[in-house]
Amino acid sequence: MTFVLARRAFAVAALSLLSAGSLAGPAFAHGPSRQKVVEKIEIGAPAAKVWEIIGNFQDLNWHPAVAKTEGTGGNAVDAKRKLTLKNGGVIDETLTKYDADGKSLSYKIDAVDVKVLPVNNYAATISVKDDGGKSVVEWKGAFYRGFMNNDPPPELSDEAALKAVTDIYKSGLAALKTKAEGK
Amino acid sequence: MKLQPVMPALVAGIHAKTMRRVAGIAGKLFALAWMAGTSPAMTGGLFLSVSILSSPASAAEAFVTAQGADSLSIVDLSKMATVATLPIGGKPAGIAVSRDGARAFVTSPEGKFLTVIDAATRKIEKRIPVEGGPLGVAASPDGKRVYVADLYGRRLVEIDLATGAQRSVGVGAMASGVAVAPDARTIVVADRDDNALSLIDAASFSRLATVPVGKHPFGVAIDASSARAYSANVESDDVSVVDLSARKVIATLKCGSRPYTVALAKGRVFVANQHGDSVSVFDAETLAPLETLKVGEYPEGLAASADGARVYVANWFSNELWALDAQTLKVVGKAETGDGPRAFGAFIRDAN
Repeated sequence: MTFVLARRAFAVAALSLLSAGSLAGPAFAHGPSRQKVVEKIEIGAPAAKVWEIIGNFQDLNWHPAVAKTEGTGGNAVDAKRKLTLKNGGVIDETLTKYDADGKSLSYKIDAVDVKVLPVNNYAATISVKDDGGKSVVEWKGAFYRGFMNNDPPPELSDEAALKAVTDIYKSGLAALKTKAEGK
Repeated sequence: MKLQPVMPALVAGIHAKTMRRVAGIAGKLFALAWMAGTSPAMTGGLFLSVSILSSPASAAEAFVTAQGADSLSIVDLSKMATVATLPIGGKPAGIAVSRDGARAFVTSPEGKFLTVIDAATRKIEKRIPVEGGPLGVAASPDGKRVYVADLYGRRLVEIDLATGAQRSVGVGAMASGVAVAPDARTIVVADRDDNALSLIDAASFSRLATVPVGKHPFGVAIDASSARAYSANVESDDVSVVDLSARKVIATLKCGSRPYTVALAKGRVFVANQHGDSVSVFDAETLAPLETLKVGEYPEGLAASADGARVYVANWFSNELWALDAQTLKVVGKAETGDGPRAFGAFIRDAN
């Protein structure tokens, strides 16, 4: 299977999302060009230990941006969780696939304000694979930018969406590594 | 030109399109041979026979829009390898290869244009501006007209290729997939956010009816007898089977997660499930589910070869085109493509 290299966001000015105004449209509307991000990290801990952390859909508190995870349904498909971020933002998500043997889970965002995360139709998968006693975690997402029509403002562009998601994955994976390696 | 007498013998039985291509290659080789001081007739003849055997235009090809790469990947389906890449721009998504294989039409929703490609020479003929967000595209069976859905403008645009004239007909919200019936009489448009299909009379270019279907229809297909249309309904995880003369849904097929496109081959209905990483297969007659095939990540564009032997699926996340045997329902090949293959439309150019 071929995997793409992670899409890097271009250098963009600091996101002034608070000035974005109410540009959010219908929940499922989106522009024509879906984006993807793939981030990976090698962790000096067994895959089983890493899966104990990431395999609990009801606890994303290992992510440095997350203050609180509340949800229902455990790790069953269609389980829900509400993430409250340290900056006050809220993200509602649903578990769409759960493969304990393959150590992989997929989820989608049901609702998020583009001021919190400038994306639409976001779906992601996080998984861990054994790598000779160590492990490799891969986090990948597919989404549309925050602005659902052509000619987006810069804070709701493809580049802004890519940067926001890439930053979440990078900071999350770095924190996961620290936690799993027990440092 | 000395080449002329040699040509008919060498290319006997080769289609005219291939012949034109070979003549072009041979011409270039002659120039090279002349510069190198060798005998044009000998060098030309030698290279000519080689170029016929390996001529890309004689094999079936897939014209795959690679949206992330802003290009078109042309995949030789006999080798399952990308053999050419054309820069397109404007985030290409929709594709329609004309039935005679002469041209390919590519929509660039963000660039707001349609690119017309000479499919045999793989050269861009022209770019035609289309306002709004051109996405779904289909060619008339005679190849004289192209129909483009404007995602944002609630309209279907008809482009007369000879004159360049454009006219529009009103359709529903977020017009996505387009299909033209093989009898050339009806055009079907998926009005995604209206949860309906628009049926357009091709001759008068007017809307005949809207047919409510499942939630958020995206890709559409019409069978060979122009009797039924199929829509892949992204939000309701099903396919609506529409009787085109009765103008109503006659069956609903439950699919995997986020069905995106539909293709028909070997009396079967194939559906690409974007979040399911799978292709659902149904019997077109009994509508019974037959199989769910695991494919690459985020399958999108789906199309069958002219003989129906193969179904090809573009996997957007994993940047691959997979070949499926429509009879045995096995995966028979994989090709790498440019980043973000969507191939939304009739993307197969058949062998001559």
